[in-house]
Amino acid sequence: MSWMSLHRRLERNAGLLIFGILLVSAVGGMVQLLPIVAGDSHPQPAEGLAPYSPLELEGRDIYIRESCSTCHTQQIRPLLAEVRRYGPYSRAEEFAYDRPFLWGSKRTGPDLHRVGGRYSDEWHRLHLLDPRSVVPASIMPAYPWFGRNAADGHGSIQARMRALARLGHPYTEQQIAEAPSALQGKTELDAVIAYLQSLGRSMDGKSEP
Amino acid sequence: MFAYFGTLRFGWRLGVEPVFLPEPTVRAICIAYFGALLTGFLSSAVVARWMAATYDASQSLGRCLALMAIVGAPLAVGSVVHLYPHAFLNVLVLVPVLIWSMFLLYRGLPIVLGTGPNRGMLMASALIAYLLVALVSLLGITVALWGSGIGPRIGA
Amino acid sequence: MTHYEDRVVTAFTYCSVLWALLGMAAGVYVAAELVWPTIDLGLPALSFGRLRTAHTTLVLFGFGVSALIATAFYSVQRTSHVRLFAPGLAWAVFYAWQGAIVLGAVSILSGWNAGKEYAELEWPFDLAITAAWVAFAVVFFGTIARRKIESIYISNWFYGALIIVVAMLHIVNSLALPVTLGKSYSLFAGAQDAVVQWWYGHNAVGFLLTGGFLGMLYYFLPKQAEQPIWSYRLSIVAFWAFVYTYIWAGPHHLHYHAVPEWLQSLGMVMSLILLAPSWATMINGIMTVSGAAKKLKADPALKFIVLALAFYGLATFEGPMLAIKSVNVFSHFTEWTIGHVHSGALGWNALITFGTYYFIVPRMAGAPLYSARLANIHFWLALAGTVLYVLSMWGAGLSQGVLWLSLDELGEVRFSFNDVMAAMQPYYLLRFLAGLAFLAGAVLMAWNLAMTFAGRRTVLVAPPAVAGAQARA
Repeated sequence: MSWMSLHRRLERNAGLLIFGILLVSAVGGMVQLLPIVAGDSHPQPAEGLAPYSPLELEGRDIYIRESCSTCHTQQIRPLLAEVRRYGPYSRAEEFAYDRPFLWGSKRTGPDLHRVGGRYSDEWHRLHLLDPRSVVPASIMPAYPWFGRNAADGHGSIQARMRALARLGHPYTEQQIAEAPSALQGKTELDAVIAYLQSLGRSMDGKSEP
Repeated sequence: MFAYFGTLRFGWRLGVEPVFLPEPTVRAICIAYFGALLTGFLSSAVVARWMAATYDASQSLGRCLALMAIVGAPLAVGSVVHLYPHAFLNVLVLVPVLIWSMFLLYRGLPIVLGTGPNRGMLMASALIAYLLVALVSLLGITVALWGSGIGPRIGA
Repeated sequence: MTHYEDRVVTAFTYCSVLWALLGMAAGVYVAAELVWPTIDLGLPALSFGRLRTAHTTLVLFGFGVSALIATAFYSVQRTSHVRLFAPGLAWAVFYAWQGAIVLGAVSILSGWNAGKEYAELEWPFDLAITAAWVAFAVVFFGTIARRKIESIYISNWFYGALIIVVAMLHIVNSLALPVTLGKSYSLFAGAQDAVVQWWYGHNAVGFLLTGGFLGMLYYFLPKQAEQPIWSYRLSIVAFWAFVYTYIWAGPHHLHYHAVPEWLQSLGMVMSLILLAPSWATMINGIMTVSGAAKKLKADPALKFIVLALAFYGLATFEGPMLAIKSVNVFSHFTEWTIGHVHSGALGWNALITFGTYYFIVPRMAGAPLYSARLANIHFWLALAGTVLYVLSMWGAGLSQGVLWLSLDELGEVRFSFNDVMAAMQPYYLLRFLAGLAFLAGAVLMAWNLAMTFAGRRTVLVAPPAVAGAQARA
């Protein structure tokens, strides 16, 4: 059967057309996604990488809530200038516990992948509550409500950790049980700072670019 | 020409400290830029001539060149702003100039190439597709040049 | 005596225009926030991160999808010569979709966020829009199944591809484990998640913003030009090449990222190949309309659609160009990408939708367009706004790209991030003005279309009889 007559059949039969579109469009996804998503290709967590602590997890979920990825990336490219500016380039193993990934697609503000340990907690405190107090030309929004809101205001930290455990994050029962007390008396500001300080520590002390 | 002298004298002003480039690099960039502009001008006229049959327009290459000269005139005049290569200033000047050029294309094409108003509008839009593509190619070629070392010192 | 179900088309059109205005206003507001960051007034709902997400959600899924469903329903009936299948279900799609958009936008501003670009709505919305989408598919394909014409016209292939492929993309990318009503965690993590996300994200552009709107093009352009499509053969080849190739291009969003090298290269090569089917369609469109010019009257609707084709050409050329690694080194993460997005979103999607609305609204209202003059002013505002937007972002993006990578004589990074960021301010101001101009044009259009309808009811149109040769056996 020639291609044209095959097509003539497709365009006279809605069912065949639907099936044809599905088949043709699925190919690319299968070739590109299956190797990545199927077990073997997925990198093991980086050496020493632990899942986020309750406070860090709360901070990460706030980062997602506020859509910080809109302006900040977490992906240092293996380019000379980038490594000089931000630190060692990002390796896949470092993101094993990132659900969802937060690599971002735009740098209105700087990359944050290796921001952990770069600035003091106090600097972050001032910066998040009012960016212009430490960076006068900053265009970042201020987050005054971080200081006012208690961490885990919805009381869902245990449910969240259990869900992540189901997805393969190695939380122990004890860690989950102790989570609410770990957040006792903390604000959203504490949580976000804890998260930021945890970023990119896998390459601490290593000399590779 | 403007870009050549401006860059040597003032450097590229991208909003931070001026970036000065060695003269051989500036010369190479400006020659490439001139070549690109010339190619753009000539190829636009050739493309217009190629499209002319479809739109019942004049197929005279001379007329197409004349049209592109009219369209390009604001850009040529506006390029004097390259004498001070402040990126934002150049954008500020060249955007209205570009819009004026597009306006001249829509207005001028029916007259210069003798189409009716409707065919003229359609042909002008088709030409704009080509011109936009040519413009963005300029960007692509520019960064490709930079990447291969003809440009500022970078660490990629 | 049966007639087409066009009142649901009118309803979707109204809402589409409403979301265009709201979504673009949100866009203009966030553009202003980049210049004057304190205009968020310390309110979480106005904060840049949340408001920008509301902007993309409203314009893509409010304005864009409503326009696609409206025009899909309009054109599938007329190309099939039958009334819409299950009109009640079509109305259910309408209410479900608009409800999802309203509540969805509110949810984003309140802090529900799944954390993945153009898929930020949380799992209850994911389920709701899946259900609505299935209903959309049933109505659309049901109408095609009932058609009185033997062949399925090409615009329906594109709308069909939109429906099928977006469903596939959405379902896979949204896979998540719900924790609470407003929070879930992605099934995929880290680098895996990145690959899945950009398979989705790129093809949302490919099949929603490109494929679906090509369906619009293939119906409304020949309609306005009163000419058949220039080349039937070309449209077939272009369609299947398009559906096959687009899917592969996702990894060009991940150049120099922590994903396998082979994946990046594959994405780059396929993105370059994609230029062919994209341009084949553009050429088909341009040649179709050029054949008609003699009988055409000066028509604002046509001007919009034809200019949209030019920007389609630009965007589908620039995309593959940006997918080349040596260009991507400079453009990635910069304003250039934003410029590219908006050359497509404003120059192609918005412009062709505006042109289509200027065409169908007078027909559905049974009255001429209220003001051709206003439509012409809109045309120039839209053109100026788009050109200014794109050029200011090109200027900003190129500057960022080269300045971030610049080294000094000692081989150290030359410019601090903050200095480069501050240098972007003037471009952000220009972009804000561009958005304002574009929005102003859209407001004129809304006024024009509202005055055209002016309290009239949607005209009832009966499907014409089908000539023997084309009739379904």
